[in-house]
Formats: sequence, structure tokens, C-alpha cells
Amino acid sequence: MKKLIQNDRLRAHSGSLLSYGGLALCLIVFSILSKGRLFSAYNVGILIQAACVYAILAMGAIFIYSMGYMDISVGAQVGVYCILCILITNATGSLLLGFATILALALICGLINGYVSVMLGLPSIVTSIFLNSIFGGVQMLLMEWVDTNSVGIQYDMSFLKSITAMVTAIAVIAVIAVCLYNYTQLGKYTRAIGANEKAAQLSGVSVTKWKVLAYIFFGICIAVAALFLTARTGSAGKGTGTGYAMDIMVALLLGGMPLSGGMRSRISSSLIGSFTYVILSNGLTLSGVDTSHVYVIKALVFLAVILITCRKREGVLPR
Amino acid sequence: MSAVEELLLEIKKMNKNFGPIAALKDVDLAIRRGQIHGLIGENGSGKSTITSIAAGMQEATSGEMRFKGKPWKPASMVEAQAGGISMILQEANTIPNCSVAENLFAGQENHFSTLGFVNSKKMNRAADEILQKFNLTHMRGKDSVNAYGFEDRKLIELARAVTDETEILVVDETTTALSFEGREILYRLMDKLAAENKAVIFISHDLDEILLHCSILTVLRDGEIRGVITKEEMKQPDSIHKIRQLMVGRDIGDKFYRSDCDGSHGDEVVLEYKNVSNANIKNFSLQLHAGEIIGIGGLSGCGMHEIGRMAFGLEHLDHGHVLCRGREILNTAKAVQAGIGYISKNRDQEALILEGAISTNIVMPSLPDLKKAAFIPPARERRLADEQIRLLAIKCENGGQWVSTLSGGNKQKVSFAKWIAKGSDIIIMDCPTRGVDIGVKQAMYQLIYDMKKEGKAILMISEEMAELIGMADRLIIMKDFQIAKEFSRSGTLTEGDIIEYMI
Repeated sequence: MKKLIQNDRLRAHSGSLLSYGGLALCLIVFSILSKGRLFSAYNVGILIQAACVYAILAMGAIFIYSMGYMDISVGAQVGVYCILCILITNATGSLLLGFATILALALICGLINGYVSVMLGLPSIVTSIFLNSIFGGVQMLLMEWVDTNSVGIQYDMSFLKSITAMVTAIAVIAVIAVCLYNYTQLGKYTRAIGANEKAAQLSGVSVTKWKVLAYIFFGICIAVAALFLTARTGSAGKGTGTGYAMDIMVALLLGGMPLSGGMRSRISSSLIGSFTYVILSNGLTLSGVDTSHVYVIKALVFLAVILITCRKREGVLPR
Repeated sequence: MSAVEELLLEIKKMNKNFGPIAALKDVDLAIRRGQIHGLIGENGSGKSTITSIAAGMQEATSGEMRFKGKPWKPASMVEAQAGGISMILQEANTIPNCSVAENLFAGQENHFSTLGFVNSKKMNRAADEILQKFNLTHMRGKDSVNAYGFEDRKLIELARAVTDETEILVVDETTTALSFEGREILYRLMDKLAAENKAVIFISHDLDEILLHCSILTVLRDGEIRGVITKEEMKQPDSIHKIRQLMVGRDIGDKFYRSDCDGSHGDEVVLEYKNVSNANIKNFSLQLHAGEIIGIGGLSGCGMHEIGRMAFGLEHLDHGHVLCRGREILNTAKAVQAGIGYISKNRDQEALILEGAISTNIVMPSLPDLKKAAFIPPARERRLADEQIRLLAIKCENGGQWVSTLSGGNKQKVSFAKWIAKGSDIIIMDCPTRGVDIGVKQAMYQLIYDMKKEGKAILMISEEMAELIGMADRLIIMKDFQIAKEFSRSGTLTEGDIIEYMI
């Protein structure tokens, strides 16, 4: 065992191995506990529907987390976009117009998130707290304005609700995200900024520009995720989107993403993490765990994963 | 004369292993009273390992130490300091956001407290007394350490390390962080300790400094002692040559800096400062030509580092322009595009992504040039990085190895490789050989000279006068944010000629 760990290649990939292992473990444990129901055709559909939104959000968010930043406005943004998308689509009869509006809004928010924090010299978590409050407020106002508890979509979105559509969406965004992350300046620079912003800047990287671009890509992902959430639920209300920001963070951590970002970040964390997270929640329910216990168990699993993956390696050679 | 002096610290057959790597192999060392004992060797030769074991930072794998005749095995630096061995380190070691007094008395607050409340007035007064004792009268105990520069903080560490109990002071490459005045304070302290029949262990890369101040010198290589040189031997004219040979293990010859005295260069002005002013520097003008090496020297705080930063768009300019072939430099991204490379003095903080692969670091500035229709082919990246690793002989297993695992010299090579890979033809080097051992230093000087021959323009900012004299076509000495004197390349220039313009 000791010899295995001393193997450099293995150690370099130990983080991703652990997160793959976590996913595998989740699959095995819950398929046994749920007596195989985890893999029933019906449940697989549920899993993909649930994972779709998480995976798309996480693949956008990973660019932000790679820089060592956080965004907590996701949930409120998703909520507002869902409501707006439904309202506009209902009013105009065009889903395209609804989606175009929220996409434009998401891009503007990306700009604000990235640019304003640089201009005002604020940490980007502060601007995201600000956006979170604004969007939370807008969500409330919108619901007050329509004066119902929830708005339902009248447009037929079932073509987006199918498993094929969702799998395609995950696959397309995954291909785009992997290419951007591994083979373009955007991905390389976001990791460099996370590892050492000053060194990146002194290598000629326009930190502001790439930061804004990363937030813009995240914005696109949020808009797409909101579209699929709308398709899945068919309605939106005051509570839509609540908790997504934290869920994404937990999913990324489960996928082996270091919170400080940097060169240890891997794009695979977003996919593995969101599936692990969804299977964990779904599996616990399927196994007949009381809903009131689910949170406690999730917390314990979370703590265990962090202890295994995120602790600093010891025994580094002194100079 | 040495036989009569009492043995203070004796190290016998000390071994230290880090995993499979032996950092020390059967090292014997004796420190006697009244000695300033120099330790010299390349990076990784084991100098710091020996002293850090003696000062309680880590434990030896095997071996025995006797201090003042008794077995010595300190469990921590605090215990070692109380017992009489104190150490000043190369890296910054003060606690930020605390006052000078709180730093000086960290861990001893109970001497100043009643019922758990620290009497900070009393502590500040005591701190002022200590500062007075070390002649650091420009600092006050109640001030925040943040108000002082790196150098002053180093001196605070010095004042903290040397107490009445101190019998042996270990100075570990501290002088590279200090300017001329700071060094003088340290040297005076070392001489005082030696005169009081105590001892100093002095680790430095600077041979001249070692020869000037040490009474005995031990040379290490690869964790073994390769030679002990007495004061008499140090006075021999060929001593430097002999010591270098012991350190490197082969004859590196006399050719250290460039040997020619030809200060000629191309005609094209590639970088120009036009009446540049910022908060400190007023109306600075300078022209750098293709194929020219301009050296800038001075004391710390003379503004020379800011000059380098200005040309890379890192300083806010109140007036004037920095032009690169007629284009104004406004920010770092523009500077890099214009073909300027900058090797920062703060290597680990500003120049390198320590927690990242060597290849990632090398290709970072070149990424825009590598892309094919927005995508960067990994093979191109690897090829560029491997080429540089080979060219500069960076000691590593492969390009995927992390920079944090490299020695100082190899880290600096990575820092150079970034700009060579980019093909930058104006290189600004701020202290390019700081903390780099002799073997690598020689390779760097050769590299810099080759760059000049290729027509690249180099702005070399350094605190080491010898390398400026040895390398520069034009040498500019700065004092109080102004050019005090300009020298042209000549074979007869000495440090003595320069220093009078610095102070």
C-alpha cells in the first residue's frame, strides 16, 4: 500500500481517483440499500432530470471556483430566470424570446459579477452577495406582482423534458466546457489566476478580461440550467432556485474540487460531483431514510469527503 | 591558537534522511568560542539542514550533538533559543498586523502582564530599549510591523533572536534580504558576539562576504563536508577559486562573468523612459538599446526596483511615458505583447505559480502565440516547455513536476525560461541571481551574455555590485531616486569606485 502511494503518477491523480471512487461507492452502496431500485428505468430518468440542472450549473461554476472565487447568487438568479422565462413565454407565446431574455440578463450579471468587483476592488464574493440580495428581492417582487403562489408555463416544453434532450444538453455543454477548460486560454488562465493571480498578471494575462469571460460563460450555463429547470418543473415560485448555490459548492467539493482553485482543479469534478450529489440524495430517499435524517447523513458524508480529499499533503522536503 | 579555544557545539556523525534522500551524511562539525564559522555550499548541500537541527527546527535521523559539554537535543526553536542557540532565517518570519513590541516578545507576554492583561506600555518601553541596544533607533516598539519594509522586519527578527542567553547565533542567508546599512548592523553584531567569546554560524552564498567576516569556513557538497578552510588559507590569493572548486566539485574555471570589455551595442532604441515621474522618482530618463545590458545598482530604497516595474506597467506614472519601440507601455499585458519580459525579485510570489507544473509556468506568457484557431494543442505546449527545460538544463524529472519541488536555482531558471520561450527581446531582471548557487549563477551569466549577443536588450537591476560590474555595458548607480553616476564598461572598475556614489 505504501509503495502504491509513493508512485508519483498515482499520487498526482489520487484526487480524481478518490472522487471517481466516491461516485462508485455511492452507486454500489445505494444499489444494495435500495435493492436495485436505483437503476430502475424510472429512477434513472429521475436521476438524470435532477443531475441535468446541477451538472450544467457546476460546469459553469467550475471556471469561477478555479479562480478561487465563489458565487452565491446562482440560486436567486435561477429563480428569477425561471419566473421571467415563464412570464415572457406565456405573454408572447415564444419560448425563444423567453430564453433570449434570460440569456441576455445572465450575460449582464456575468459582466457585473466580474467587472464590478475588479473596478471597485471588491472580492467577488461581495458582488455575488449583492446580486444574491437583488435577485432575491426581484423574485419576491415578481411574485407579488403576478399575485399568485406560482406561475405555470403554458408553452409545451415536453421536448426539453425527455431524457434524450437532457442527456444531449449535458453532453453538449460538457464537450464545450472540457474544451474551454483544457485547451483554451480561458481554462488555463482561470486556473493560473486561482494558483497565483499576481504571477498570472506578470505573465501578461489580462486578469480582468478573463475573469469577466469566465463569469459570462457561467452566465450562459445559468440561463441554460434555468431553461431545463423550467421544463422539468413546469412552474416557478418564490422558492425556486433556493439552495442551489450551496448545492453546487457541495457537488464540486464531492467531485474533488479544491475550494482555493488553482492547478489542482479538474473539469471532471463538476460532472462527477453533481452525479455523486444527486445519487447521494436520491439513494438516501430510496433506501427509506427518513427525510429528517437525510441532512445529517449528507453532512457526515460531506465532512468525510473533505477530510480525505482536501487536506494538505504533508512531508514536503524542506529546502 | 585554535586549540585553546573552548569547544561550544560539537556535532558528530550526523545523518538526516528525507525519505530515500540523504540530506546529511556523517557530518562532523565543531564550533568553538569566538568563532564566526562560515558554512558554504550550493543549494541543497545541507547547510541549512545542519543548523536547523542544531536550532531545534527538526530532528536528525542519527548522530550526536554536544553543546557546552552536555548532550544537546532541543525539541523546538523556543527551547533551543532559551538554551543558547538562536537562528535567523532567510524567509520573512515576523507576525504581520502586530506591533514591533508584540513581535519582539512573542511568547513572553506573561513578563508584562498582570492578571492576564498585557501592559502594552511596559512592553513597548522594553521593546524600545532592545531596539536601542541594536542601534535600530528608527523603529518604535508601538508601531505596527506592517509599517516597516522587508529589511526592517528582518532586523526586528535579529533583535528578537539575540538575547543575553544567546551563545551561538545562526545567520542563514539573511544578508541577501538586507541592504548595505542592514548588513553593516548585522556584521557589527556578529563581531560583537565573537568578541564576547560567543560564536556565530554564518551561511551565505556571497563568497566575498564570507571571506571578509568569517574566521573559519566549512565547505559542504551533497550533504558531506568537503573541506575546512582556515583564516590563513582564506587570505591566499587563489582562495576564491579553491572554494568554488570545493563547492561545485569540478573546476568551473576563471570565467565567471563575461570576459570582454567591449561595451558596444546596437543603435536601435528599444526601450525609452521619457521624463518619468511617480510618487518618488522624478523626471527619470533612460534609453536602452538592442544588444545592450544596462545595470542598475544602489542601496535598497534608492528606487531601482521601481524603475524596472515602471517599464512593465506595474507602477502608476504621474508624468512621462515609457516607450517600447515608440509604443507606450500602459499595463503588463501591453508590455508582454511589446516583447518585454520581467523577472521579478519576489520570485515565489510574483514570478512563479509554485503550485503548478514547470511546463505550465514556462508556457504561460506564450499561450496566445501557441493557439491554433482559439485552441491550444497540448503537443505544442509540451514541445515548447521541453525545449526550454533542455536548453536551460532545468533539473527535473519531467515538465509535469511542480515548481514548488525545485531548488532556488532551478526555480529561477523556470522564471527565465518563460521569457526565452516567449521570444521577448527586452528582458528586465530584478535581482536575477538572488538565492541562486554558484554553478547556476555561472550558467545564468553565460545565458545573459548569449542573449546580448543575440541582440536582446537587458535591464539588470541588482544589489550585487560584482555582477553588475561583471556584466553591464553601462552601469547606472542610483541614490535617493535619482541617477547618481553612470559608468561605461571597463576592466578596471571596482566596487570601491562605485560605493561612494551609493551612500
